[in-house]
Amino acid sequence: MSGDLVQILEGNTFVVSDLRGDIEASLTDPTGLFSFDTRFLSKWMLTINGQRLNALSTDDLQYFQTRFFLVPGTGTVYVDSPLSVIRQRTVGEGFHEELTILNHEDESVELEIRIDADSDFADLFEVKDALAKQGAYNRRVDDDCLVLEYRRDTFERSTWIWASRDATVDEHGLTFAASIEAHGEWKTELHVAAAIASSFESRHWSKEERRGVKPRPDMARGLDKWIERAPRLDCDDDALKSTYRRSLVDLAALRFATRSSPKHALPAAGLPWFMTIFGRDSIFTSLQALPFTPELAASTLRALGERQGTRLDDFRDEDPGRILHELRYGEMTAFEERPHSPYYGSVDATPLYVVLLDEYERWTGDTKLVRELELEARAALRWIDEFADLQGNGYIAYRRRNEETGLENQCWKDSWDSISYRNGELPGFPRATCELQGYAYDAKMRGARLARLVWHDPVFADQLEKEAAALKRRFNRDFWVEDGEYFAIALDIDGRQVDSLSSNNGHLLWSGIVDKSKAKAVAKHLVGPRLFSGWGVRTLAEGEGRYNPIGYHVGTVWPFDNSFIAWGLRRYGFKDEAARVAAGVLDAARFFDGRLPEAFGGYPRSLTKYPVQYPTACSPQAWSTGAPLLFLRTMLGLEPIGDHLIVDPALPLDVGRIELLDIPGRWGRIDAFGRGTVETSRARAKHRGAS
Amino acid sequence: MVEEEPVPTSRTAGTVKGTDADPTSEFFDGLARRGHEPLLENVSGTLRFDLTDGKHVHHWYVVVTKGDVAVSRKRAAADAVLRVDKMVFEGMTAGTVNAMAAVLRGAVVPEGSLHLVVMFQRLFPGPPTGFRSSVAADRRRKGLR
Repeated sequence: MSGDLVQILEGNTFVVSDLRGDIEASLTDPTGLFSFDTRFLSKWMLTINGQRLNALSTDDLQYFQTRFFLVPGTGTVYVDSPLSVIRQRTVGEGFHEELTILNHEDESVELEIRIDADSDFADLFEVKDALAKQGAYNRRVDDDCLVLEYRRDTFERSTWIWASRDATVDEHGLTFAASIEAHGEWKTELHVAAAIASSFESRHWSKEERRGVKPRPDMARGLDKWIERAPRLDCDDDALKSTYRRSLVDLAALRFATRSSPKHALPAAGLPWFMTIFGRDSIFTSLQALPFTPELAASTLRALGERQGTRLDDFRDEDPGRILHELRYGEMTAFEERPHSPYYGSVDATPLYVVLLDEYERWTGDTKLVRELELEARAALRWIDEFADLQGNGYIAYRRRNEETGLENQCWKDSWDSISYRNGELPGFPRATCELQGYAYDAKMRGARLARLVWHDPVFADQLEKEAAALKRRFNRDFWVEDGEYFAIALDIDGRQVDSLSSNNGHLLWSGIVDKSKAKAVAKHLVGPRLFSGWGVRTLAEGEGRYNPIGYHVGTVWPFDNSFIAWGLRRYGFKDEAARVAAGVLDAARFFDGRLPEAFGGYPRSLTKYPVQYPTACSPQAWSTGAPLLFLRTMLGLEPIGDHLIVDPALPLDVGRIELLDIPGRWGRIDAFGRGTVETSRARAKHRGAS
Repeated sequence: MVEEEPVPTSRTAGTVKGTDADPTSEFFDGLARRGHEPLLENVSGTLRFDLTDGKHVHHWYVVVTKGDVAVSRKRAAADAVLRVDKMVFEGMTAGTVNAMAAVLRGAVVPEGSLHLVVMFQRLFPGPPTGFRSSVAADRRRKGLR
């Protein structure tokens, strides 16, 4: 179904329509004009002389702009139409549509052109869960402008629709009487504005204001500039080049600015349904993109720091120092029927916040921001020990306090069956998943570095390092599964190991919490036949009770997961293994035109000659978009040391030569070169033999 | 001009019936007394609160200088203005009204530096133990989800 939909967006305003450009949404149907998590148009239908139109083609010009080529008619395959209709739509503060009708006949035509419009003002959450509305609707004509309104108590949203030329406006739409001469053309501009009002003032678009509204001309230029500022990739592998470009463009589309700092865009989680801040997703994506677009990290740190938890609030699962999980703006959030104002129910975002702050400083040397966010970083570190130790054993664990609308699983594998014992049984709560302990270790070590270097607090630094060392010691004892030689996915409330083999082991390498003596066995598992499919590392190993190659977190391959696994392998010196993981996922990207999906099937590569996409509503997704960027960093072995950037490439043989030019950082701009030497296809061949 | 309409989500929580205690003054007095807020260590700017009670608009000014806080009622230039019904504001100071949700509902109208507003809301307390937000509780009573 989503294959027949067209979506364009800017920030958190987006339009999803059919191939004709029309919108005919029911409550559960995800089409419409959305802004700030509210649907402002649920109907937008073009007819000419009472007839619907047929799509000839759709041209996605930019992520914020699309063009529909249409003809009137009955829907036959071949049409020889006397008329052509072109709708060019650009998203801005609502959207702007340029409607052009061409008459191909030798005589003039008289047409009645009609736009029907309506809005149900549904909250995104209502679209998802098919919930009924509480407020009242109103529709009126205000000075040649159709105004659709919705009001519930002090909550007010309205949609303003007008045209650049004379129209007859009624409460259900706009009608134009057009006379087009032979081979002539007729044109109008349609404007749809989404307005948010308050109890104190209604948002009103005066005639004067309406005249001034133009689509933003600088959007295309902004995208060009964004691409220009990023490092340039030159390489033998055309597919990799186009994957890289795709990632940069998608990352541009995924930029989102909060209202409190409109100039600082950060990566939202996914397009279009997750165009908002998610602590975890924004942090992971910022980490992936650091060598390419470091400003995303700065904005993420600022925005998350601003909204850091400061009190205990069970409804929002908020604690002092906790970094938010998700922020929403819709009606259900406004009336506290959903806790997203913001909701704090994730346990990895808080330690990862400190990790990002340190990694950001290592790349950029921006100690000013580290000083600015000292309070927030300290509060995050304090949260780990004071609020996250729910099992009372010194490990981060999670259990929601909001039993009604809170999240049950507060780690990245957030589906109901993601954390299981070998026999497939599920542990109770609280759950202490292993990667959380790695993040906590890393946060303490990195916090110590910042304390010594920037905050000039060596006592705090010593304390953090001591705590980190103790955590590492305990962790390697308590989580290590002796008979399997890997780390258990979690500890349950009784301190028992949840003993399945999972991709989480890769995140542990990335964090540095793994004892050197254990790293080899872990690396072997990650590229071994139970976890490595040939396309990438599975979330859960083949042979585990709940393993399912198309199970969301129990067997599929996640590009984002793999990008951090590869980074982890490099951290412990397993360069070839890292290259193998990178090569698998980047090969998969070729099958998706360079746009990696959220996840794909965990079937062995020898079985399916192409990666089987896991069906999800959201694409592109930020941390999948960021994965190729982090793979590039990892394969080139880019590591900032002091004021220098170390380049130590270990590239898959198939990739050939790579040049990454103008890498920004505290060194100014630096180029990195590498040539493929790692034979990754051998690993695949070996795997084929094994399966 | 300020509309004089009842705000259905406003609550009387925080007011002590039968006494003259004014939670608004108490909140600002408390701020002034403490004089320094560690949570605003990196914040500087002036906030104006326009508290409406249907008849009047009461202005309060909070000047934050790197965490140092001074409260005044004298007219001054403000970097951010928060317009809110007095009852809703009292709910915020008691932890029974969430500031961000109230802004989304249009019950609180921020203007100017939203950064300053977001930072300031750190100072509002969390909900009292066992408290469930009014709106959600109403819906539960009606058997809605």
